[in-house]
Amino acid sequence: MTVATHSLPLSEIVEPTSQAELAEIVARAYANGTPLYPIGGGTSLNPSAGAAPKGLGVSLARLTRVVDYPARDMTITVEAGLTMQSLADVLSVEQQRLPIDAPNADRATLGGVVATATSGPRRFGQGTIRDYVIGISAVDGRGVAFKAGGRVVKNVAGYDFCKLLTGSHGTLAIITQLTLKMRPVAAATALVACEVTGFDQAEALLAALTQSKTSPTAIELVAGPAWDEDRFVQATKSGCAQLVIGFEGTAIEVDWMIAEIANEWRALGVTESSVLREAAATRAWQRLIEFPAEDAALVVKAGVLPSRVTQFVAAAQQISPNCSIAAHAGSGVVYVRLPSFASHEGPAVMIRGLHPAAVKAGGAAVVLSCPVSHELTRPALWGPTRQDAHLMRAVKAQFDPKNILNPGRAIFEN
Amino acid sequence: MIAARLPELVEQLTSIVGVEGVLSAHSDLLVYECDGFVIEKNCPDVAVFPRTTEHVQAIVRLCVEHDVPFLPRGAGTSLAGGCLPVGGGVMIVLTRMKEIEEINLRDRYAVVQPGVVNVWLTQALKGTGYHYAPDPSSQGACTIGGNVGTNSGGPHTLKYGVTVNHVLGVEAVLANGEIVQVGGPAADAPGLDLTGLLVGSEGTLALVTKVWVRLTRDPQGWRTLLGIFESVSDATSAISAMIGAGIVPAALEMMDQGILSAVEAAFKFGFPLDAQAILLIEVDGLEAGLDSQRDEIIALCGAHGAREVRQAVTAAERQLLWKCRKQAFGAVGRLSPSYCTQDGVVPRTKLPYILEKITEIGARYNVKIVNVFHAGDGNIHPIVLFDERDRDQVKRVLAASGEILDECIACGGSVTGEHGIGVEKIEFMSKMFTPDDLDCMARVRMAFNPTGRLSPSKMLPTSGACGLEQRHPGRRAAM
Repeated sequence: MTVATHSLPLSEIVEPTSQAELAEIVARAYANGTPLYPIGGGTSLNPSAGAAPKGLGVSLARLTRVVDYPARDMTITVEAGLTMQSLADVLSVEQQRLPIDAPNADRATLGGVVATATSGPRRFGQGTIRDYVIGISAVDGRGVAFKAGGRVVKNVAGYDFCKLLTGSHGTLAIITQLTLKMRPVAAATALVACEVTGFDQAEALLAALTQSKTSPTAIELVAGPAWDEDRFVQATKSGCAQLVIGFEGTAIEVDWMIAEIANEWRALGVTESSVLREAAATRAWQRLIEFPAEDAALVVKAGVLPSRVTQFVAAAQQISPNCSIAAHAGSGVVYVRLPSFASHEGPAVMIRGLHPAAVKAGGAAVVLSCPVSHELTRPALWGPTRQDAHLMRAVKAQFDPKNILNPGRAIFEN
Repeated sequence: MIAARLPELVEQLTSIVGVEGVLSAHSDLLVYECDGFVIEKNCPDVAVFPRTTEHVQAIVRLCVEHDVPFLPRGAGTSLAGGCLPVGGGVMIVLTRMKEIEEINLRDRYAVVQPGVVNVWLTQALKGTGYHYAPDPSSQGACTIGGNVGTNSGGPHTLKYGVTVNHVLGVEAVLANGEIVQVGGPAADAPGLDLTGLLVGSEGTLALVTKVWVRLTRDPQGWRTLLGIFESVSDATSAISAMIGAGIVPAALEMMDQGILSAVEAAFKFGFPLDAQAILLIEVDGLEAGLDSQRDEIIALCGAHGAREVRQAVTAAERQLLWKCRKQAFGAVGRLSPSYCTQDGVVPRTKLPYILEKITEIGARYNVKIVNVFHAGDGNIHPIVLFDERDRDQVKRVLAASGEILDECIACGGSVTGEHGIGVEKIEFMSKMFTPDDLDCMARVRMAFNPTGRLSPSKMLPTSGACGLEQRHPGRRAAM
C-alpha cells in the first residue's frame, strides 16, 4: 500500500505530545472550521473521495506511552500512536499477545488499526480488534476529550463507544488511548495447504470445514499470479487456488490437528497436502497478513457470506483476469488486488463489477487502497448507499458537528 | 400520561394487535410494574404484545402521535430496572415475537426474533455441532432481545465473550417508527458499527425486532474441576496464578462458604461444608490438549493451598455442578428472607483485596454477605442478606452495597459487568464518567431518540433525573 500522507491535502502536520494538547488543537480547528486529518503510521490513508478541503494533519506519532500494563490482569493501556510491533514487543516479555494481524506492523499504529478495524487471517479463530478494545479515550470534533469503557474485561456501564469508534476511520473522534485485553501467546503454530482444482471443490472443502474436528485459527483461500511463485502447496500448480488452514495451540494440539485435517481431506478426495512449520509457517502467516498492503493499482475488500466466497472470487477473476486474491474464507472476507488498470476502467471495475458481485454474494465491497483514488467517485469507492447511512450521519453530527474530522473520508457522507 | 386519552389509545392499539394483544386493566398490569429489580415499581398505562415488526412500527407511531413514553420489555429478568416504566406510558412486550427464523450452519449464524428465549436456541441447535455462546444464568427465561439490550454475560463469557461479541446485526424500530437494519450476516458491513452501539444500549436507542447471532462450534471436550480451598485468599490467588500462567478457562467461578451451605442444602451435590471457598473451573477445546491443561490447573491449585481438586467425570456430574452454580441464587432463600446482589467488576488481581474489603464492610454495617461470582472476569456478585421488615437493617444494606461499588470504582473497575445501569445505578454513572463523557453519551441518545420518549430516565443521569430514591433493597435473582 502506498504510504501516502501526500494523498492528503495537508497544509502542515502537527504532533501533539498529550491528549490535552491534541484537544486544544481540535478546539482551535473547531473554532476556525479547519479540516483535520488524523494520521497514525500512514499505512491506510487512502482512499478518499473527491477533492478534500485543505487542512491540518494530526499525527499521533508522539503519543506512544505504555500507560499501564498489569500483566497478571491480562490487560494493557497504551496511547494510540504506539506501533503494533512495539506493542507486540512489550507483550511478548510476558508471553502475551494481541492476536490481531496488521500489515506493516512496524509502522501501523494501534490507533490506526482500531480506527480502520484492520483484520487478518487469524480473525477466524481469534476475532477482530472490536473484541479486544475494552476502554477508549478520544477527542471529538469540538475538541472535547471523552472516554468510554474502562480497564476491566467485563463492563456494561454506558454506551459502548469502544465499538462505535472501532472502524469509524477517524470521522467521529481522534482516538488517543486504548485499553485492550490480551491473550496468551500460542506455543505452536503450523499451516496446512492443499490445491483445489476448481471453485466447486473449494466450496465443498470449505463447507466440510464447518464440521471439522479441528479448530482452525485461519481458513484462507488464495488465487492468482501473486501466489503462483513461492507456493504454499509444494506440488506443481494444477488447480485454480490454494486452500491454507492455520493452526495454533499447544504442540500436541497442533500436531493432532495436522493429522486430523489430512484425514478429513483424504476422505474428500484430497490426496496431497503440504505442512508448513517453523520458519516456513512464520513466513506463510506474514505473506497472508501483508497481502492487502502490497503495491497494487487497486485493492478491494469485500465482506460476503462465507458460503459465497468462491462465487465472489470466481466473479472477481472474470472481471479482472490478472487479479490476485486472498480470502479469509471462513469469515467471508475477500481481498482482491488488481496489478494495473487504465484509469478510465477504475469506476467500471467497481460499479459494474465488484460492487454488484459483492452484493450478489450477500455483502458489500469497499476500495481499500487506490493510489489514483482521486479518479474514483464515491459510488465507485464505497458502493451503493446503505439504508442506515442517515443514522450514521446523525451520529457523526453529534460527534463532529462542523464536519472537520476527515472530511470526504466517510462512506456515509452525502 | 393523561388518563383521558387512554381509552382512545387502547382502542387504536387493539386495532393493531387485536384484543388479545393489549392489557390495560390495572390488575393485569401489575406483572409489568418491575423487572428483577423490585425496589422501584411503576405500572405502565398499557402493555401491548406485537407479533411482527410492522406491529412494533405501528405501535411506536401511535405513541409518537399521542406523545406518550414507551419502552421495550423482554422476559423481565433484568436486574437493574431497565424495563421499569418510569412515568408510565406504553410497554411494548416482545415475548410474542418468538420465532427462530433461520439457522444457517454453513454461514455460522442464526436469525431470531427478540422474544426467543436464550435456551430455546441452545435446544434448537442441539446435535448440529454448534451453539449460541452467551449463557446467562437466567437463560431458561431471558430473551435474546433482552440479552441484546443489556449485553448479557454468563459463566462461559470468560473465554467466548459477551453478547456483543456474538451479535452480527439487528433489525430495529427507531423512536420515530422507522425500521432499519444495521449489520447483518456478512462480515464487516461498511460504515459505523451501529450494531456494537445498539447492543447494551438498554432499550434507550431503538427497539430491536430481529437479531442475527453468530453460532459457535461446540468444543470437542470438557474438563470440569472443583477446587476446594481453606481460605478465600488462597482461592483468589489460585485464580490469579491460572490467568497469569496463560490458561484461558471456558469458565472460572467462585462460591464462598456462606453460599455453599445453601447450595448444598438445595442440590445435595456433596460440597464440603467446611471449605471456605470453592472454584468451579472448566476448560474446553480439543481433547488432545485437555488433560495437560487439567493437570496444570490441579498443580496450580495445589500450589496455592487447595485442599483437594475434584473432577466431574460424567456428563451428569458436570450438569449438576453447573445447575448448582446457575441456580445458586435460588438457594439463597434458605439463608434469609430477603437479599440483594451487586454486580461490580475489579481487575482480576484485585479479587483478594475486594473480597477482604467486602467482609470488612459487612462486619462494619453488621450485615451478612455471601459471594458467588464470575471470578475469571473479576465480576463479583456479593449478596447481602437481610430482613426487609427491619428498616434499620435495610438502611445498612443499602449503605454497604453502595460502599462495595465505590470500592470497585476505586480499584479501577466498574459498577456493572453484565446487569446494566437501568435506573438502579444511574447515580454511579457520574462517579465512573466525567460530565464530558456523559454528555457524549447523551448526544448519541439525541441522535437516535431526540424526543426522549423511548425509555425515558434510564442509564444516563443527564437524560432527565429519574428522581427515584432508593428506599429499600429487594429480593433479587442474579447471574
